[in-house]
Order: sequence, then structure tokens, then C-alpha cells
Amino acid sequence: MAGRRAALKAVDWVAFAERVPPNQRSMFNNLKTRTDAISAKLASLPEKPPAIDWNHYKTVVAKAGMVDEFEKKFSALKVPEPVDTQTSLIDTQEAEANKSATSYIEESKTRVAQYEKELEKLKNMIPFDQMTIEDLNDAFPETKLDKEKHPYWPHKPIAEL
Amino acid sequence: MLSRLVFVTASGLKSSGPLGAGLVHASRSLHTSSQSLAPVPPLPEKGGKVRHGIFPEELFQLLYPKTGVTGPYMLGTGLLVYLLSKEIYVINHETFTAAAIGAVLIYGVKKFGPSVAAFADKLNEEKVAKAQEVKDVAMTNLTQAIENEKKEQWRVEGRGMLFDAKRNNVAMLLETNYRERLQMVTNEVKKRLDYQVALQNLHRQMEKEHMVNWVEKSVVSSITPQQEKESIAKCIADLKALAKTTQAKAAV
Repeated sequence: MAGRRAALKAVDWVAFAERVPPNQRSMFNNLKTRTDAISAKLASLPEKPPAIDWNHYKTVVAKAGMVDEFEKKFSALKVPEPVDTQTSLIDTQEAEANKSATSYIEESKTRVAQYEKELEKLKNMIPFDQMTIEDLNDAFPETKLDKEKHPYWPHKPIAEL
Repeated sequence: MLSRLVFVTASGLKSSGPLGAGLVHASRSLHTSSQSLAPVPPLPEKGGKVRHGIFPEELFQLLYPKTGVTGPYMLGTGLLVYLLSKEIYVINHETFTAAAIGAVLIYGVKKFGPSVAAFADKLNEEKVAKAQEVKDVAMTNLTQAIENEKKEQWRVEGRGMLFDAKRNNVAMLLETNYRERLQMVTNEVKKRLDYQVALQNLHRQMEKEHMVNWVEKSVVSSITPQQEKESIAKCIADLKALAKTTQAKAAV
């Protein structure tokens, strides 16, 4: 009896929905419909089945020991709880997801650091009208004219003019 | 002073900004040779002030304390007269050529100088604006990218909810299954008991019917013909008596 009511953790579906990225929205909707169906089914079933009226049967059934025997066996009967095979799988899945999530967050953080560095560089740049061509080449290396590859003016293929 | 010579030839034209070649190279070479890494101070927008297009203002300022406002003019006139009178400068046909060309040049510069300068400035402005645009776009993209990354990180934090929901589902399914099992057991037992009860009832019913049929049959068969005649005669007699009494009652 103790394992029966494994506490159902309240899931805040609204907050959950907010965090779903748009490309996984259909999966989320499927999950939600499934969950709703399951909880509806659960709600429709009563917690305890209606008790059998033993006294009535004792008076009605002629055979002497039958009702008593049934009653004894019935109260002694223990319905086995269904075995939980999935929770451990889910736990492993969760562990894996946590791992991949941490690695993703690490990568994301490095990307953020990179972006912030570039942003800082752009912010601290001197304004263009105080720059010389060399300053421009330092700030934006792609503007540097390759004088070895194209020794003659305009130092870049004509098509790129 | 080196820079000033460059501007002597560019009389009347506004400076085309620090991206003009000559000035830049001069100041740059100074800095690179002395190996100072201090940022270069911003270059001046306009060249040094000149009077009459050629003579630097510093000369006038230099001579002002001693000779006042007219000093440099007197110097100039004196120099000119000296050169001419001593024939240090000889007037020949080339003088007139120079005068004519000079006049045309000065006229041209004075007339078209500002527009050409504006055109050159516009070209420069466009370059700068383009670069600025590129920079701005880059900055907005970067900020946007940082936002997106932060949002994705926040999203990832919600992954626990998915697994909670899954576990809930599993628990609910188990609970449903258990309840169904209980229900099934109860129903089965009830069915068996009900069957017994129904069976008993059926038995009793059949016995009752059979008994009734049997009694009826035996009664009917036990009526002998003589008894039948007697009973019919008695019935007729009773009926006559009844009729008489009713007739008597009616008459009264």
C-alpha cells in the first residue's frame, strides 16, 4: 500500500509551455494530450471498488459454507501492485539529458563570452573619422588589401570593386 | 612644416579628412620610428590657416608685436620691389604666361573649389557611413545572439519538468492499472455469488412449477366420471336454488 500513491509531482504546464522551443512544440502537445487522457482515465475510476454485501449473500445463498469461504478468501486476497519498469528508464534518461544539457550550457557560455568579447571590441573602437587605413585594417582584418597576392592597384580582383 | 607644404599646393581646397594620404604618412612615420604605442591624437580637420592662400598666419602673428598689422605687407612689398629693381627676378614672357595661368587657376579654384571639395567629402562620408552601418549591424547581431543564447539556457533549465511529467504519467498508469485489477476481482467474486443466487432461485422456481403441474394433473386425473356426473347434478341443483332465491328477491 505504501508504494501505491507515489507522489504525483505537480507539473506547471503553463511554465513548461513557455520553455518549449518552437521546434519541439508538436512533441509537447502530444505529451500534454497523452497526460490529459491518462489523468482523465484515472479520475474516472473510483479509488476503492464498492464493497460486497456479505450479510445479504449469507442470508440468500443456501449452501452453507460457500459465502463464508468466499468472504474469507476475498479478504485474504492481495492484489499485486503492477510492477514499475519505466521509472528507472526515465531516471537514466533524465541523467543523460542533464549531462547533455550541462555540456550545451557550457558551449553556449563560451559562445556568449566570444560574442561579448567582440561586442566589447566593437564598442571600444575609435570612431571611423578618426581612423587611418591601418587602424581600419587592424579593427577589421578583412579590409586589409593583400599586396603580395595582387601587387598592382587596386590590390583586389576587379570583380570585388 | 612639411605638412604645410602639402597644403600650399592645395590652395582653397578643404582638406579631404584624415584619410588623405600625405598628411597621414608624415605623422605615421614619426610615430612608428619612435615606437610609442600611445594612441594617435585625432588629426586636425582643417589645415593651418593661411592668408591670401599662400602665406601662413603664423608669419603675421610673428611680426605683429614689432610691426603691427601692416608689417608683413610692407615686408612683402619691399621684397617684391627689391627683387624687381635689382633684377634678381627678371621680367620676361614667362612672367606674363605665369600671370595668365595663375589668373585662370585662381579663377577656377575659387569658382569650382567648394563644389569639388563637397563632392570629395561626400564620397568619404559614404565610405564612413557604410563602415558605420556594418559596425552597427554587427553590434545588433551580437546583442541579439547573446539574448538568444541566454534564452536557450533558460529554456534548458526547464528540462526537469519533462521528466516529472513522464514520471507522473507512469505513476498514473500504474495506479489506474491497480484500481482496475481491484475492480476486476470484486466483479468476478460478485458474479460468482450472483450466479449461485440466481441458480438457487431458478431451482426453486422450477420445483414450484413442477409441483403445481403435478398437483393439477393428479387432481384432474382423480376426477372419476361418476363423480363428475354427481358434481354436475349438484351444480344444476344449486343453480336452480339460486335462481329461485333471486326470483324471490326480485319479486319482493
